[in-house]
Amino acid sequence: MIPVRCFTCGKVIASSWEEYERRVSEFENPGKVLDDLGIDRYCCRRMLLSHIKLVDTFAPYQ
Amino acid sequence: MVYYCTRCKRLVEIDYEAMGIRCPYCGHRILIKQRPTLVKRVEAV
Amino acid sequence: MDIDIIELSDTKARFVLNDVEPAIANGLRRVILAEVPTMAIDYVNIYDNTSVLFDEQIALRMGLIPLITDLESYVLPEDCDCGGEGCTRCQLSLNLSAEGSKIIYSGDLLSSDPKVTVADEKIPIIDLRERQTLVLEAVAKLGIGRKHAKWQAGVGCGYKNMPVITIKEDCDSCGRCVDECPRNVLVINNDKLEVTDPLKCNLCKLCMGICDIDAINVIEKPNSYIFNIETDGSYPAKELVIQGADTIILKAGQLKEILSEIE
Repeated sequence: MIPVRCFTCGKVIASSWEEYERRVSEFENPGKVLDDLGIDRYCCRRMLLSHIKLVDTFAPYQ
Repeated sequence: MVYYCTRCKRLVEIDYEAMGIRCPYCGHRILIKQRPTLVKRVEAV
Repeated sequence: MDIDIIELSDTKARFVLNDVEPAIANGLRRVILAEVPTMAIDYVNIYDNTSVLFDEQIALRMGLIPLITDLESYVLPEDCDCGGEGCTRCQLSLNLSAEGSKIIYSGDLLSSDPKVTVADEKIPIIDLRERQTLVLEAVAKLGIGRKHAKWQAGVGCGYKNMPVITIKEDCDSCGRCVDECPRNVLVINNDKLEVTDPLKCNLCKLCMGICDIDAINVIEKPNSYIFNIETDGSYPAKELVIQGADTIILKAGQLKEILSEIE
């Protein structure tokens, strides 16, 4: 799951994740999507840019 | 203590002294302890 | 002291604070970051959790969810009559009971007080699959940012000095400073060097270094600061600055009381 807040500054970034994921999967430029979502600082931008979704990998093992 | 067998998915009651850690139904050796029903308090930090 | 507001929205504020000592400007910044009381989930009672995340991870995610703070109805647990044991004056509970398969959002939390709800309803807490359940009760308390970042109302709060850019008469409009400026503050308009937006300048003084004839000068205006404040949603930006100022007053009052006791 995407972390709730940015590790560095504490801005809530999790609520932007779904829109970011959807728009990037439609081949939009990730930088532009982040600008649109109002995520300006590079500490918050790396949270979304570098996130790898692992829930689907874990889900069968419970 | 009630365990849960990861292969046959059955709840098993094991007797460690008699047969070691082994599912009495399928012989599988990986068992998971069931979550206790009591409420667990976790600090949100 | 006077304030020029540049930008003010619910989550962001940008203003120029004039005629204040650096100590007061820094005090305001520090108080907003670490001293303004904010509501956040303190601990979680987990009844059942068969999701893919551990109880501790779920509790951490719950703690970081911003809650709308109501300072009139709640007090800090340390200052409460109950002595911090937990009563209706210092804590409230939020309940969550969910079964898969669906994504559980912060908006699914049911608060016992309609005034204190989650500030952002779209935070995914956990992706529950078929036959996975999550039943919990979260207890929220007031706290301050100094103790844990989840009680920090202001995020990315800071200030910089107000820049004053002066261009002398003998500028030959060579344009090298325009290329050198990383913030694109300078522009050549009709063969004349002009400043577009001095607020964008970060006082790096690269333009001064590249100018051979010293025609440009950048200085910091004394006692004038550009503030940038962003909130996590627990307060509107305006309210947060007011609360920050109130906290300074409260702290100054406490100091006065202590000093008056000394003979």
